[in-house]
Amino acid sequence: MPSRLLDRQVRLLEHLTSGAGIFGTGCGVSINQALPGIDGGLLHLEARFSHEKRMAKIEWVLTRTLDLLGTAKAAIIRDFVEACPPASISRLENARQFHDFLSARWLSEAPEPPYLPDIAAYELAYATVRADDSEALAVAEDRLLPPGAIRRHPNVVLVRCAYDIRPMLEGRTGEAGPLRRETLIAVALAPGTDDPLVSELSSDLFELLEMLDGFADPAIFADTPGLHKLIAGLAARGLLEVHA
Amino acid sequence: MAGSEAHRAMYFDLVGEIPLTAHGIGLSIGTDAPLDLAYVDQIAALVDRLKAPAYSEHLAFTRVPGRDLGNLLPLPKTEAVAESIIAKVRTIQSRISVPFLLENITYVFDWPDSELSDAEFFKLICGETGCGILLDVENLYVNGQNYEFDPYAFLDALPAGAVKEVHVAGGVTLHEDFLPRPFAADSHSHPVPEATLDLLDHALARHAPRSIVLERDDRFDATEEILDDVALIRARFDGRFETSHAQPAVGSAG
Repeated sequence: MPSRLLDRQVRLLEHLTSGAGIFGTGCGVSINQALPGIDGGLLHLEARFSHEKRMAKIEWVLTRTLDLLGTAKAAIIRDFVEACPPASISRLENARQFHDFLSARWLSEAPEPPYLPDIAAYELAYATVRADDSEALAVAEDRLLPPGAIRRHPNVVLVRCAYDIRPMLEGRTGEAGPLRRETLIAVALAPGTDDPLVSELSSDLFELLEMLDGFADPAIFADTPGLHKLIAGLAARGLLEVHA
Repeated sequence: MAGSEAHRAMYFDLVGEIPLTAHGIGLSIGTDAPLDLAYVDQIAALVDRLKAPAYSEHLAFTRVPGRDLGNLLPLPKTEAVAESIIAKVRTIQSRISVPFLLENITYVFDWPDSELSDAEFFKLICGETGCGILLDVENLYVNGQNYEFDPYAFLDALPAGAVKEVHVAGGVTLHEDFLPRPFAADSHSHPVPEATLDLLDHALARHAPRSIVLERDDRFDATEEILDDVALIRARFDGRFETSHAQPAVGSAG
């Protein structure tokens, strides 16, 4: 008498997303016990198909990151599979899982190359901004807001890099790799465009944008020279949202 | 629907310009758990905005609570499972304004307790609910290659006129040490096999689908190959119907 279908579906997905299911040969005794009557070789094929599809999604977002993992990549992916079963069909969510996994790993194991966390953070930021979920992030209109109130646009991601990775992103890095220099990057989507805009910011502007989580009355910056022009410029680059 | 707002807007700009239909990969109707009604309602809104003539999904499951494989998996073909699907189809039909269609999948394995044939399973669900079929002829061909499965018998067993939309694609054959024989895979990456076109022909003898979609997920640079496929599909279609009856479309779907 088969057990409840959901239980069997859970066991199946646990197997198909496990390291044994993906990287094994499908000949294990445990498979026959957990999923009796289903050929282990076919389950291995299914597990591999699904894993390759998932990794293609992650690679679509974190292309350079995966490339830079080099010879450690295979072992890291095996650990990732065991630690983080897929929870979503989305490219971005799978990439976010992988990024979180790497970030946790780098707390106890130095990243190699050392600028890899910057590259990974940048690539995730770029994909996040391109996916543009800002509609979902938008707050309800607040009638008490003064016209012209400003906040950091919900679809901006700020990345504080320890290395100057910009030459690498632009494909013009030398053999030495990126220089160690704090580089403050904003990834944003300018209005009406599809491709994110990547800007290096001054520390003052970066910190201002970090603070502007919620709407603020621009009057508090009244003594800033050329304020209106500055706000207009930042809004045109998709960095600021101006309340109508 | 993935992509930025600007990207999504491009799809909506096509409404009324070219034939569009709505096809999903995220419903997981076969998960033995309640339907995600919020998802269904999002689809309902999307279908209305696209002015889609139908909404289709796969007769399959892809996830369980906490895990999403992102790949279509088969269901045990039993009357009990069919009953559960029937109830979900009725719920979907009550919340979505256009006809609901179910698509046949290709599968790597089958459940040992399956007691109905693929056609019997479909007939039971579609007969009880009146939902139509999105026939993926490449999936039929692939299942026919991999198993003791007669795709022509499947087609002959379906009620005439039940197929409302068709998917066509081309895949690859895998040779793996751990498998006893080569395995056909529906990779949406290569030309449509002649045998699949023959199956399409056979299907068109008894069904008048509203649309035929050529699915392609890879090797997009093989433009000539893709255009040849479109021409071959169009020729099979024109052999049966006036071209004004339906317009074969090129697209990509799950």
